[in-house]
Amino acid sequence: MILKKLSQAMIEGEVEMGKELAQQGIEEGLSPQELLDDGVLAGMEVVGDRFKNYEMYIPEVLNSASVMHEVMNIIKPALVSSEGDFKMKGTVVLGTVEGDLHDIGKNLVGLMLEGAGFKVVDIGIDQPAKSFVDAVEKEKPEVLGMSALLTTTAPKITEVIESLKEANLRDSVKTMAGGAVIDQAFCDENGVDAYGSSATAAMEITQKFVEEVKNNAS
Amino acid sequence: MQVNQVHYSTPQFSVLSQDEREMIFKGALEVMERVGGKFYNEEAIELFKNSDALVTDDNLVKIPASMTIRALNDSPNKITLVSRDGERNLHLGRNEVYFGTGSDCPFIYCRETGERRRYTRNDVYDAARVVDSLSNVDFFMSHGLASDVPHDETYDRHQYFSMVKGTKKPLVITAVDKEGLKDIYEMQLLISGSESNFRLNPNFAVYIEPSSPLAHSNECLEKLLFCAEKSIPSIYTPCPSAGATAPASLAGMLVQTLAESLQGMVLAHLKKPGMPFIMGGVVTIMDMKTSNYCYGAPEMSLSSAALTDVSKYLDLPMFSTAGCTDARVVDEQAALEAQISIETAFLSGASLVHDVGYLDSGLNGSLEMLVLCDEIIGMVKHLGKGITVDENHLAADLIDEVGPGGNFLTTSHTRQHYKNEFYFPKLLDRHNIEAWTAQGKNTILDYVNKNLDHILDNYEPEPLPADVEKGMKEIIKRADAKAEEAKVKTKAKA
Repeated sequence: MILKKLSQAMIEGEVEMGKELAQQGIEEGLSPQELLDDGVLAGMEVVGDRFKNYEMYIPEVLNSASVMHEVMNIIKPALVSSEGDFKMKGTVVLGTVEGDLHDIGKNLVGLMLEGAGFKVVDIGIDQPAKSFVDAVEKEKPEVLGMSALLTTTAPKITEVIESLKEANLRDSVKTMAGGAVIDQAFCDENGVDAYGSSATAAMEITQKFVEEVKNNAS
Repeated sequence: MQVNQVHYSTPQFSVLSQDEREMIFKGALEVMERVGGKFYNEEAIELFKNSDALVTDDNLVKIPASMTIRALNDSPNKITLVSRDGERNLHLGRNEVYFGTGSDCPFIYCRETGERRRYTRNDVYDAARVVDSLSNVDFFMSHGLASDVPHDETYDRHQYFSMVKGTKKPLVITAVDKEGLKDIYEMQLLISGSESNFRLNPNFAVYIEPSSPLAHSNECLEKLLFCAEKSIPSIYTPCPSAGATAPASLAGMLVQTLAESLQGMVLAHLKKPGMPFIMGGVVTIMDMKTSNYCYGAPEMSLSSAALTDVSKYLDLPMFSTAGCTDARVVDEQAALEAQISIETAFLSGASLVHDVGYLDSGLNGSLEMLVLCDEIIGMVKHLGKGITVDENHLAADLIDEVGPGGNFLTTSHTRQHYKNEFYFPKLLDRHNIEAWTAQGKNTILDYVNKNLDHILDNYEPEPLPADVEKGMKEIIKRADAKAEEAKVKTKAKA
């Protein structure tokens, strides 16, 4: 019942209700993973479906994502006394390449991915190739996402790919790119694994890649 | 705190200055006094003979300015049209704009075969259902002319029945003659209950069209006089074509059109002072290459907006024209002509804007065009919402809160405002090229057809009460029997 209500709070973007229910769930002895999977993420899955069917729009989806964030802050401390770390769906590193300050698309991708249950590490705007490499080394993400809006900055995506190769990290991570000037051909020509034509597409790609990594591991 | 602030909020648009409006009006008064108009109806001639007007033996009536101004003073500047169940939806007056279809197109394209064929009662019913379901179309005229009827003289009763059955929205009706109008009024009273209730809450206005230049047929005058007697809102709307039945100069066409419309108004007020009168005019040009009476010409939109300016000067509700095209099919020409006229008519502030969905210069009442225009009207109405300028909407606090490099997607201010400040199209495709390709590369006409199919397959209007429907059918039967009888008599004589 609490789990159902919690997912409803996610769908409706009710932050206070979500926090209360999470607290109540912990007090009643539900496990944090249960609260995450069957409450928070179950709700966010409905949000994602409704967004795809145009029954919910971006601001409400992001509001649900921010409710998720708040609820997670309540669930996390409960972990200390349980198994250790959350089993998030996967990790994604995101960044906007050097010379480019346009990041609304990248931010939208990040918010959507968080809402879908991924851990998102956003390294920010105007980032040189080295920062991407460092982040991949440190966070060990399944997916790396790069964004560029300008024709002048798009070649920096190629630099990131080259730097990953030099650092022997290229095979450890799947890559995707997006932004106004990026298309499938660019990604094909520059060794990027996937082109994210929209935030929704980026989410689907991430889900697919993470699934692949899991299958390969097992 | 600020003082002496002026807020417009909405777009500001006009064609004529106050002085120019007055010049058009004075021009019309001059035509009414100097040229006069022909009135082919005995009762009209009697009424004028008993007034200050000059009546000559050949049905010519010259009306002094004093009579016109008195009638104007008696004319209500507020006329309300109600829905079938009495909701007071349309408040006609200056700058309150409502859109609706036109009437009596002979043809429609068959949706199955694409062939052009005659309009049927069922097509009128379908058009009514489509209008009932569209959120941006406010009133309904028949769109097509019901031709599958036993007698041509009684098509109007059948047509009205299909209309009122298919939509609850307010109607503008046409009638063959006074007998037809009387029957339709009787049918309407089955819904309204009483004449006095209809006067307070009229469900329809009547479209009446004099003949340019400056002639008023017997049929149109007897309908106008019946409307005056019963206080039925009357639209008196000439259809001049500049260069052919009116001067080629647009100002000259406006002077003549206004004179024609006001001649009707003066007569109606002789019959019943204060009757609800709506001025009008489908003011357009004859295309001098083809002789086409143009429904998509920029001159039509410009002249209609100017005539609306004059209507506001006179404080009379205005019947205007938009959403129609000379294109023979729903194509790019159709869309661009409709867009220009809809936007211009809307910004001009006319009361009832009709002919939405006309194809083929008024010969084809297209359902596809109607669905397309609904989207255009939606976009144009959004322009009319304008921009709210106040502290909350100026959003300085919010801009400060988000700061340089931040984003507004996640703020509650965005969630609070975007649904009202933004327009949400029904038919326009805004997917990026990947998603658009994946969905089958739909163009707007694909969406129009999908939308229309959905409406035609699924939309059920609220049914008429059974006793009302029965009563209406009896009136129709009575009219058809009378027409049959007359036909037999004529044959016997021959």
